Amino acid sequence: MNTKPIPLSRVADIFAVLARWLLGAAFLYLGLNKALHPVEFLKLIRQYDIVQDHLWLNSIAAALPWFEVFCGLLLLAGVAVRGTALMLILMLVPFTVLVFRRALAIKSATAIAFCAVKFDCGCGNGEVFICSKLTENIALIILAGWLLAGPGRKFCVRYSLMPSGATNRSME
Amino acid sequence: MAIIVAVYVYPAFRGYERVGGKKVVVTRVRITHAGRQQVKDHLPEFTAPDCRHSAGHLWLEVLIVALAGAAFAFAANRISPRGLTLARNYFLVQINRPVAMPGTIAWSRDLTNSGSPVLSPVQLLTARLKEQGLQLLDGGQVKQLFQDPQFKIGNIVFVDARDEAHYHEGHIPGAYEFDPYYPEKYFTNVLPACQAARQIVVYCNGGDCDDSESAALTLRDVGIPVSELFIYGGGIPEWTTNGWPVEIGARNSGSLRRPNQ
Repeated sequence: MNTKPIPLSRVADIFAVLARWLLGAAFLYLGLNKALHPVEFLKLIRQYDIVQDHLWLNSIAAALPWFEVFCGLLLLAGVAVRGTALMLILMLVPFTVLVFRRALAIKSATAIAFCAVKFDCGCGNGEVFICSKLTENIALIILAGWLLAGPGRKFCVRYSLMPSGATNRSME
Repeated sequence: MAIIVAVYVYPAFRGYERVGGKKVVVTRVRITHAGRQQVKDHLPEFTAPDCRHSAGHLWLEVLIVALAGAAFAFAANRISPRGLTLARNYFLVQINRPVAMPGTIAWSRDLTNSGSPVLSPVQLLTARLKEQGLQLLDGGQVKQLFQDPQFKIGNIVFVDARDEAHYHEGHIPGAYEFDPYYPEKYFTNVLPACQAARQIVVYCNGGDCDDSESAALTLRDVGIPVSELFIYGGGIPEWTTNGWPVEIGARNSGSLRRPNQ
């Protein structure tokens, strides 16, 4: 029986599409969890003490969850994939640093092991252990970085918004 | 002239390499039993996008996503029934000292570098309330007020400052629902009762929950005398831990439950 081996590029394509959908679904889920409970999210981000002015604080709490939903939808549909992936990295990296710093502060205040620190970081999935949260965020950053590198073009409505013609090889 | 070079991995970033000063176009080939077979021979289509999709284009795309996303986000917040009012200050209480109950992690702005003398959580809470003109009640005092005949005739009023879902899960029997983050929704019921009362006990989730203070300050701001406002610091966790009755669902629903001690 003569079976053709699946080309590596095809395998990479399939995984890249799955990665795009996974990342999109994750942000859709996390964003909706926060968007449906904006007051809870507002209270949580207030604890980070990143802004003092209530207008800025309210704006972040009101917009960030829906912005994540928007990015999740773009990735699921395959619209502006690389731009969205970069946007997510730009959000994830500083937020991960903030969560890490907050966990360090709690660790030093409570004198418990770092990985035993558990709190609601405002990430959209309630109270979590810090190590699993950091692992999750790093995984999301890696996925977004991979999409930024260029794969995952299959089943895209519009892979790139730029009019460079062939980048929009939608629905290959 | 472009030279076709076989590669075995997907060329994600670049469509071409420079070899000895010459532009070498990279494409994919498939190795089969019949020999080497080019998969994509339409070079402009395969190579051009990655070449031309420059960093500038990428950042422009990020900008478009950011602007469109922001427009979507603020519009969604505006439409959502739970959306936030951007101009409103939701936090009348300024927490700048750790206030923690056993078993909770207090979030405070100076969690790690508190230089003030060590005070007990109750002392800290009492001092903070005193600054606002509010008074702290303990569980025993609250139970007495609950059993006081004045409660039955409306001279003593209980106000639950938690959100709707928690209120319906169980509240002190007869307590009014008043989520301080959406006060306008509850003023119609709560204000007349508070105006008629002489003692108003406000509570939330105990521990580091400051929603009861927010609710009390909101009531103060609409004309309820601050001398009539009391905070039950232990809140519903202490109430239920003591095995005192809670009412399920709406106010005066009659559905009472006595939690197991």
